[in-house]
This record gives sequence, C-alpha cells and structure tokens, in this order.
Amino acid sequence: MATVELPARERVERLEQMWQGKPGILGWLTTTDHKKIGLLYFWTTLVFFAAGGAEALTMRTQLAHANNNVVGPATYDELFTMHGVTMIFFFIIPMTTGAFGNYLIPLLIGARDMAFPRMNALSYWIFLTSGLFLYIGFATGNGPNGAWFGFTPLTERAFSPTRAEDFYTLALIFNGISSSLGSANFIVTMFKLRAPGMSFNRMPTFCYAFLAASFGLLFALPVLTADCIYLYLDRIVGTHFFDPAHGGSVLLWQHLFWIFGHPEVYILIVPAFGIATSIIPAMTQRKLVAYPLVAIAELLVVFIGFGVWAHHMYTTGLPTIQVVFFGAATAMVVIPSSIQVFSWCMSMVTGRARFKTPLLFIAGFIWMFVNGGLTGIMFVSIPFDQQVHDTYFVIAHFHYIIFGAAVFPIFGGMYYWFPKVTGKLYLERPGQISFWLIFVGTNLLFFPMYIVGLLGMPRQIYTYPGNMGWTAYNLAETIGGFLTAFGILVCVGNLLVSYLRGLPSGPDPWLGPTLEWATSSPPPEYNFAVIPTVTSAYPNWDPEDREEDVRKLADGVMVLEEGHEQPVVTTADGNFSEVIEMPHSSPWPPTLGLCLGLVFTFLVLEKFFVAGIFGALCLLSLVGWHAKEPQEA
Amino acid sequence: MTDYIFGGRREGEVPRTHEGRNPRDVSHLASQRLGVPVAWWGIAMLVASEATLMFTFIGTYYYLRSKTPVWPPVGDPEPHVVVPLILAGVLATTSLPMQLASMAARAGRLVATRRLIVLALIVQCGYISYEMWDYQHELQTTTPSHDAYESIYYVLLGADHGHVWIGILLNVWLLAKLGRGLTMYRLNATIAVTWYWHFVNLLTLFVIGTLTSATLL
Amino acid sequence: MTRLRKLSLLQWFGLFAAAGIWLAQHGIGQGMAEARCSAAGGGISNDAVQIVLMIVAGVVILAAEAASVVVFRATSDASYHSPPPVGRMRMIAIATMSTNLIFLVIILLDGIASILDVACRNS
Repeated sequence: MATVELPARERVERLEQMWQGKPGILGWLTTTDHKKIGLLYFWTTLVFFAAGGAEALTMRTQLAHANNNVVGPATYDELFTMHGVTMIFFFIIPMTTGAFGNYLIPLLIGARDMAFPRMNALSYWIFLTSGLFLYIGFATGNGPNGAWFGFTPLTERAFSPTRAEDFYTLALIFNGISSSLGSANFIVTMFKLRAPGMSFNRMPTFCYAFLAASFGLLFALPVLTADCIYLYLDRIVGTHFFDPAHGGSVLLWQHLFWIFGHPEVYILIVPAFGIATSIIPAMTQRKLVAYPLVAIAELLVVFIGFGVWAHHMYTTGLPTIQVVFFGAATAMVVIPSSIQVFSWCMSMVTGRARFKTPLLFIAGFIWMFVNGGLTGIMFVSIPFDQQVHDTYFVIAHFHYIIFGAAVFPIFGGMYYWFPKVTGKLYLERPGQISFWLIFVGTNLLFFPMYIVGLLGMPRQIYTYPGNMGWTAYNLAETIGGFLTAFGILVCVGNLLVSYLRGLPSGPDPWLGPTLEWATSSPPPEYNFAVIPTVTSAYPNWDPEDREEDVRKLADGVMVLEEGHEQPVVTTADGNFSEVIEMPHSSPWPPTLGLCLGLVFTFLVLEKFFVAGIFGALCLLSLVGWHAKEPQEA
Repeated sequence: MTDYIFGGRREGEVPRTHEGRNPRDVSHLASQRLGVPVAWWGIAMLVASEATLMFTFIGTYYYLRSKTPVWPPVGDPEPHVVVPLILAGVLATTSLPMQLASMAARAGRLVATRRLIVLALIVQCGYISYEMWDYQHELQTTTPSHDAYESIYYVLLGADHGHVWIGILLNVWLLAKLGRGLTMYRLNATIAVTWYWHFVNLLTLFVIGTLTSATLL
Repeated sequence: MTRLRKLSLLQWFGLFAAAGIWLAQHGIGQGMAEARCSAAGGGISNDAVQIVLMIVAGVVILAAEAASVVVFRATSDASYHSPPPVGRMRMIAIATMSTNLIFLVIILLDGIASILDVACRNS
C-alpha cells in the first residue's frame, strides 16, 4: 500500500524520475536496464552477422566454379572456421538470448528488470570484448583455422604452430563466461521475479523455451571450457591431455566438445521455438494447442540433447555397445520437437491465421525445420551416417536447422516486436517481399547441398575438380546465397525506413496475449506502472485483470515507487514473498569487461604475469561493484 | 477500497526487505519472506556451473584412467592418501561454523555470525597453506607436462585449490562487510557464501577421493 | 504433512525421477561400455551391467509415471488453467505422464541393444 496519497499521474511521474538512466553515451555505458542492454546486443550481433555473412559469401564465391582461385586454401580454412564460430557464438546465441531474451523476459513476466541487472550488463560487455578479441586475432593474421569444432590433433601446437588456435581456445572460454552469466540471470529471473500469481502453469511458453536454453548453456558451457583449458594447456604448457603417446586421448577432445556441442545446437533453436510460440497465438488469435506438452517439450529437447553427443562420432571407431545408447536417444529426441511442430501447425489451422510478415517467417521456419529435422533423423542410422559424414549433406542438414529454425524466427521476431520496441509499424509489403526473397534464397542455397553431398562432395574443401558433376549445384547454391543476402538487406532496410517514417503503432497492434503488449510502445524504463495482475497464461487477453491494473494505479497498490522496487515470488506457485531494491546504473560492468579482456589479451600473448595483474584488477573491480548496496544508491 | 490480493498475500503483508538495515529488522523481515531468497538461486547457478566444470575434470580423470592399463603409469609417484583425506575431512568440517553463521545472521546475532566466520576462515586458511606448500613441493618431483596422468592430476587438484581460494576471499570480503553492520544484503551474502562453502567442501571430498583412488583402487 | 504437500512431492518426483535416472543410466551405461572395450577394460560382463541398469532405471521410471498418474487423477476436479498449487500440479502431471514414457523407451532400447550386440565390435 502506498504510504503517500498521490494521484495516479503523480505516481507515474515519480516512477519516471526514480528509474531514469543517465543521459547520452554515459547512460549507454553504465546502463543496467534490460531493454537498453537488449538493444546493445541487437546491434552488436547484427554486425557479427554481417561479418559471418561476408565470410559465407566469400566461400560461396570461391565455390561457384570448379578450380576457382578467389581465395587460397589457408584463407578458406580461416573463413569456414570464423564463419562457424561467429554465427554460433557471436550471432545466434547473443541475438536470441542477449537481444530477444533480455528485452522481452522481464516484460513477459511482469517484472521491472532482470534479477541481477549489473551482471546482465557485464554479460554484454564480456560478449563485446570477446568478439573483438577473436576478430583482432583474425585481422592480425591469427584467425582460427581448425574448423569451429577444433578437433585435435590438428589444433595441437605440432600441427597449428601459430597463435590462431590460442585465439580460438581463449575466445571460446571468454565468450562462454558471458553466456554462463546470462543464462544464470535468466533462470533466476524467471524463477523469482514473476508477477505475483504467475505460477508455472501461467508462465508464457517463451519463458519455458528460454529456461530450457539457459539450463542448457549453464551445463554445456563448462564442458567446453574444460576442453579448451586442456587444449590451451597442451599448446602452451605442454600437457598431454590429447597426446596418445603420453597417455592422453585424441577422442577426449571430441567427446567433451560434442557433450557441449550437441546441446549447443538445441540451445540455438529452442529460443527460436519460443519466438514461434509467442507469434502464433497472437497472429491466430488462439491459445496454443497443448500448452503443457509444448512447455515440457521445450525443456525435454535440451535435456535429452545432452545424451546424444556421440552421434557426431559414429566414424571414430567407438564400440557398438557404446554407440547404441546414442542411437536410441537420438531417435527419441525427435519426439519433443514433433510435439511442438504438431502444436504450431494445429494452432495455425484451427485459429484465424493472419499471414502478416511475422507469421510468414514462422511458416517458413516450420518448413525449414521439418526439412532439416527429417534429414536429422536419417543420421540415427549409423551406416547412413558413416556414408555422408563430412560431406555437404551434413552442411545442408544443419543449415536447414540453424538458418531455418533459428534465423527465420529471429526475422519473424524482429518484425513482430518491432512495434513494441520502436512504437512504429513496419511496412508490410516490403516485409513480405523480404520473406520470399530469403525463403527462396535459402532453399536454393541449401537444398542442392543435400544432392551434392550424396554425390560425394566433402565439406571444408576450398575447390573441386570440374568433372565431378558438382559444378551446377554449387553455382545454384552461390546464387541462392546472394539472393538470401539481398533479402536480408531488404529486411534490414525495411526496418530502418519504418523506424524513420513508420506510423505510430500504439501499445498493442497485434492484440497479443502476453504482458509486453499491456504496456506502452516503447515501454518505459520501469516497464509497468503497476505490477500486473496475472490469473492465466494469456494475461493480456484477460480484460478484468487489465481493468484491475487501472484501479490499482488509482489506489496506489503495487506501484512500488519507494525506490527501484521489484516483487519477488516463490518459485513454483508465484506466491508473493518480498519486495527488493534493484541496482541501477553502474560503471563496474564495463570496467570489469575491459579488465577481463586485457587478461585474455595478455594470456594469448603469453605474458602471464601481466595477465595476473589484470586478473587482480578484476577482483578489485568486483569489490568496488559490491561496495555500494542497492538500498544505499 | 478494493481488497487486493496477489500471490496469496496483500501488498502490506509482504516485507520490503531492503529496509532491513540493522540486525533486529533484518531478522524480523527475513522471517516474513517465503521460500529462498534470490541470492540463494544465484549461488545455486554458480554452483551448478562450477560443479559441471569440476565433474568434467573428474570425468576426464576416469576416462584417461580407463584408457591406461597401469594407473598411475610407470614412473609416476602414487598419490599420498592419509594426509590429503584427513585434511579434506577437516576442510569439510568448516561447513558447520559456516551454516551456524548463516543461522545466526538470520536470527540477527551479528557478533556470533562474525565469530563463526572467523573460526571457519582460520581452518580454511590453514588448509590452503599446507596444500599450497604440498602442491609446489610435488611440482619439484613431476610436472604436468610429464604425461596425461600428471596433467589431469595437477589441473584437477589446482582447480580445487582455486575454488578454496575464492571461498577464502569471499569470507574475507564478507567479514569486512559485516564489520559495518547487518543489512538484508549482507544476510543474503552470508547465506550465499555459506552455500558456496558447502559446495567447495563436498567437491574437495570428491576430488581428493578421486586422486587417492589411484593408490587405493 | 498436508494432502496438497504430499501431492506436490509426488508431482516433483514424477518430473525429476525419470529424467534423473535416465541421465544416470545413460552416463554410467555408455561409460562402462566404453571402458569395457578400452585398454584398462575387463571385469564385470557388460551384459550384466546393462541388464541391471535397465531394470533399475525401468522401475524408477515406472514409479515416476505412477506418481504422475496419481497426481493427475487427484486433480481431476481442476484444469491446468486453475490457480496454483492445484493447477500447477495438474499441468506438470499432464506433461510428465506423456514424456516419462519417452525415457522408458530409451532405456529399453539401450538395454536390449546392448545385450543383443557383440561386445567391443567397432562401429
């Protein structure tokens, strides 16, 4: 209950003043607002997307004709390595979790910010510095060149004597810290900061998807970190983790890499599933079919995904009594994905589908995901897998999944939430054109790869002879690649023009079911003037609850304007536990991000004492960070 | 006025815990909150991540062992058993004063909290001092670059020592904070650091158990 | 303990037990299979290990399934839209009743394939 009797307008003004960030560049540097951090992630990942895309188009140009010489083999090795690392670690994960997750999750659960706002900012600054770290390596002729999965012994010092693979191992460890911190933040936020009354059976499926991805990252990244530590120590100190001559095991790298790597690919697509399950109810004006099954399917696909890793190792000579475990789990992991596909399709068929641009991208996503998923099931068969391993068939499969199942929903989500973030409507006709260009382009780019893979074209080759029957397919793929790139430019251009000249959108142009549509567009820094009343999984479709919010504001209830206040609930049932004070602007996250960047820089330069000094500065930054408690700010 | 109830309670019944700035208020407010605090979940996430890392190291140890007929390999010294196990047990006992410190903080007994943390810290510092001496002493005999057994031995043990060091630094920081009084923030920090120590103590038992298994099994 | 609290515990058992036991069976089963065929391998027969793992895991999964069914039936007056804790328990019970069977199939496939297969043949 408010201790001061104030009219509603004055309460809102008090909230505005309380939550206002610092102005200008300083504001962006010291922000802890999840929305600003989400936007920082969004623009930064777009730059990395462009870099990864340029790497891809260079490779496609090289492969357009047989015996081409646009780039040589050494450069080509760097290109496919950097393309894979960039797209996975510096585009999809930070775009889905960092941009979409950060911006939307507090809004979806009726919260004012993430559970650990400063740590949220730190995740971004570490992401930025780790990306700069990797690309400085690339720019100085030390671009990693051992493929994104860096198999030993190729990446050991004996076969990769330059600093390239040092940049690889350290960049992955460095970037992993960002994602680990981010995933911890998401889990605690979704568990504890939901609006009182939002129990697990009232939580949006977007949140279940991000819970699944976050738990996946939390448990998968340390395994990759351990693997990279072993490789770094082998290279720098001369340990023998992967050296069979001294008791090590080459396959140890692969086991650990894929124990991370397979959950990673589910982590790439599950947030996109969350985007799809948000768009479909809004665009069909229908509650999602089989909500409990979709919620658990999102968690299950990542969980079972931790048990399938050796299906990437069917050609390494593992004993069949071991391999059967992975065949069984791989066969069954299809089921949770299929549950979701069924739900999406049935929701669209039984609802009143409006095929605006966001839903077009989701329809395209379903097509691409089912296509890639069917070929994924084919890999369950060990003999088939052994035949197509390391061919373009594999590249086709995972690009249908990654581009189709991760990138299509990202584009759909950009269009869907554009009005919320900017307060403007995007232009619909160019939006639809961008979809068709991208859809036709990606199918032209990736489908011929299935055929050329079955015809025997290996992956990661910089050229090929002219008499293999591969040339026409490669040319088609290259044309598809450039068509896709053009479509993406149309999309980005459309959003830019719409931002500058679009019509006002109002708070809820889609009549969406979830809470982000219950506040203004763009949302104020404090998200909601009152913490929303929640009595169902589709709170914005409950008019009585939204009317109650208006009365609460007038009565000064759940406005929580005595500080940067946020309610905390019990985990499963959303019972109202306490009101806490949130931290606000802070210079420590960028400071710590910079110090950590310098630690890794001096590690790669093998100046360990200097790295240690900056490590100590990191610890001092942490002390400074916690010097002022939130209630003292 | 409408009787608003959210998540089973009225806004006025729910503690504004950030207002706890002295031991009595902190204790009173903490008793009114439901479930575990946000900080508990925060440390649970850290523990999950670090446990996965450490159990990857432990898994690596057993994986390499399964590939090696004689373990430790010929030429590598067998690990000591008695002293490391006893010391790991001694470290594990510091979970008791830490847990009591946490409970004392919740009850608003600040002096007791500080004393219990100091007691735990003394034992923890004694443990790590011996272990640092022993680690550098062993390095004079064999190095991680000798073979894969020594590589995983030193990485696994060193990582465990690193986690103990972090715990000690956390305890020092916590004592410095509690030296200025008890707030809800510092209570939450005490709870979080206590759980971190429970994890480190249990982890150390697993790590020492794994390393000594080369002699015992 | 109140009836709701007991139901809640059953519901969480239904969610975590099957998943947890599959994780253990999978990790131990494939690890022991690889160790059996490695340089330091030998010892207990792989078939014996896998049969025991399959039976133990199967029993736990069936118990988890039974727990989910009990919670589902005990909450039949409500729906998964209902307020917590009943609505939450029903939603999770509906979900786990369906998905625990997936774990059962996986461990049966694992166990049967391990027994029928020839030990230590390269894939």
